[in-house]
Amino acid sequence: MADFSTNRAIVFQRSLGYLAMILIVLVIGVPIFWMLSGSLKTTQEIYSTNIQWVPASPRWGNYADAWNAAPFERFYFNSILITALGSSLEIINATLTAYALAFLRFPGKNLIFVILLAALMIPAQVTILPNYVFFGSTVFDLIGESWINTYQAIILPGASVAFGTFLMRQSFLGLPREVIDAAKVDGAGHFRILRDVVLPMGKPVIVTFALISVVAKWNEYLWPLVITTTQEMRPLTVGISYLFDAEGNNAWGVIMAATFFVVFPLLVVFMFAQRFIIEGLTAGATKG
Amino acid sequence: MTSTKINRRSIVKGGAGAAVAVGSKASSVFAAPAVIQETGSTIEVTYWASQSGVNGEAEQELVNMFNESQQDVKVNYQFQGTYEETAQKLTAAIQARQVPEISTLSDVWWFKFYLAGALQPLTEYVNEAKIDTADYFESLWNEGVREGVQYWMPFARSTPLFYYNRDAFAAAGVDESIVGNWDTFVENTEALMVRDGDTVTQYAFGHPDAGSYNAWLFQAVIWSFEGAYSEDDFTITIAQDPGVEAGNFYRSTVADGWAIPVEDHTADFGTGLFAAIMASTGSMGGIRENATFDWGTAFIPEKYTFGCCTGGSGHSILATAEDAKKEAAFKYIAFASSPESTAFWSRRSGYMPVRKSAVESAEMQAFYDENPNALTAVEQLPKTDPQDAARVFIPNGDQIIGGGLEQITVNLVDAAEAFEEVSGILQEEAEPIIEQLADVEG
Repeated sequence: MADFSTNRAIVFQRSLGYLAMILIVLVIGVPIFWMLSGSLKTTQEIYSTNIQWVPASPRWGNYADAWNAAPFERFYFNSILITALGSSLEIINATLTAYALAFLRFPGKNLIFVILLAALMIPAQVTILPNYVFFGSTVFDLIGESWINTYQAIILPGASVAFGTFLMRQSFLGLPREVIDAAKVDGAGHFRILRDVVLPMGKPVIVTFALISVVAKWNEYLWPLVITTTQEMRPLTVGISYLFDAEGNNAWGVIMAATFFVVFPLLVVFMFAQRFIIEGLTAGATKG
Repeated sequence: MTSTKINRRSIVKGGAGAAVAVGSKASSVFAAPAVIQETGSTIEVTYWASQSGVNGEAEQELVNMFNESQQDVKVNYQFQGTYEETAQKLTAAIQARQVPEISTLSDVWWFKFYLAGALQPLTEYVNEAKIDTADYFESLWNEGVREGVQYWMPFARSTPLFYYNRDAFAAAGVDESIVGNWDTFVENTEALMVRDGDTVTQYAFGHPDAGSYNAWLFQAVIWSFEGAYSEDDFTITIAQDPGVEAGNFYRSTVADGWAIPVEDHTADFGTGLFAAIMASTGSMGGIRENATFDWGTAFIPEKYTFGCCTGGSGHSILATAEDAKKEAAFKYIAFASSPESTAFWSRRSGYMPVRKSAVESAEMQAFYDENPNALTAVEQLPKTDPQDAARVFIPNGDQIIGGGLEQITVNLVDAAEAFEEVSGILQEEAEPIIEQLADVEG
């Protein structure tokens, strides 16, 4: 009797689990499918009041139209540059700062950490105008030309984010002290400890944070929108706004195709990084 | 260990000291070099624009035409986003003292910059260039004039139009002339409805939401009821009897079941959901592309009288630019609203030509023969009036009124109640503007 009810319980739990998975897949997948389907429709099909899940005759021309409507090669270049440089800077800064906060002793360490936490609570929008004035007016006074509409102005404000430092510090504090002490006894200096002990052990967290950082930098819209004034400097996210019609009659098929250009590289990154994500999430789940 | 600690501490102290030293010296050593223009060299001006998509391409071509036609001035055309985004970026740019020479400003944004003293008076340049101001349509030109001085030259200007589905009218056996007056239109709304069992597949009319500028379209309606949003001295009149009557007329369109409010009414008109809508002449290109039926345009319907406003955007020069650059900037603005340019721009974008001579030119006459719908806005233009202060001079006035209209069309709130609330908010928001205006204009 006991076996029978346990079986039913297991089946019930499993079905709930599958149901939840299907629901989540739908919630995430349907908008993506809708976007892909829309990118192959004509504007009339999109605006019709009957929902058409699959376009009657796929209009591949939308992709060509989207590519030609704005300088997408330039947008891709900018997005890749901003994301690569920005994420690298962010990861390096976060790792080094977290190492210092976790393993070093120096005056004001706690104060710095508190300030870091306070910075976490400041919404990004509040910093837009001060940063803009800094790169425009202050930099102009210092060196005679403003940094508005330059790569450094796009990348630098995001080069160190409190979130990354905080995440890594917590993770480093959780690393086994014995291994680090053993390394110290062997005469290792800070850089050797960082490279040979902390980084390998903290790989899951670093990779997770790297992915978060890459996605965030790739999708960044507000700051690049404000700080760039010419099309040549804009990343993909800002670039596609050129396809929108001020009067409201948007060519949605073309816009959907353009959106796919923005999403596609991230999908590729995630496909390759899948292994690391799973590794990172399951590290420590099993013993030995 | 002790030596390492001292080293690190001294580095930190030394670094802080160095930063302070550099900072205080830099501001005195690195003064901003003056920009010197040698005579005979090309002057470069920066132009911030808000036209995207098809219109953006047309504007880029216009700039190229200007740059190629002469060597004195080179315009750098830079797209900044929508009207709202451009205005916000311009505000930030003024704070950061990195300002373009020319900017596109919409009908509800330019006044804010005028009050802040950011706009260059243009009348001097207009007189020097001997521009024939009488050739501009009066209502378009005068909207940018304060105390006899021009600040905002017309460029991409539009009026609301009445669009209707001719196939639907024919199928219902309704004569097209009934669109001339709201009373005759209302008499025929039942005939224009199409039902499939219990669901309505075609409404007689559709309303947009505040985000799609319902307050701009309603301005024409309230004027036709002999009301207004406000008077020139910022007295708010929207809640007076004619305004309330117009508002309750809007309410009745939905309450009686022959109209519904939607988000994107031009798109729904194109799919045949509405037999008629009011919309900007600038939407014509999109409707032309999406509609699967024969459609026509007409003047805004009358009620007790005819009322119609203008909209769109124009060019202003920023006051912070150097004199040589301002002169160069004006050359482009004058070019952009010259008869040939405005004809080119109008044909490509759907906005109206701002010059009477452009309308009368042979090219445009031929264009109108092929596209009679494009002529309606031009013929309606002489009958238009400048917009009410409450919509264009009070910050966010357009959205405040739009919110009140949404209360009426979506929640079926009585117009007296909705407009009382709108009136209160508008009066509050108007006070700082009236003060600022007194400071600027005395």
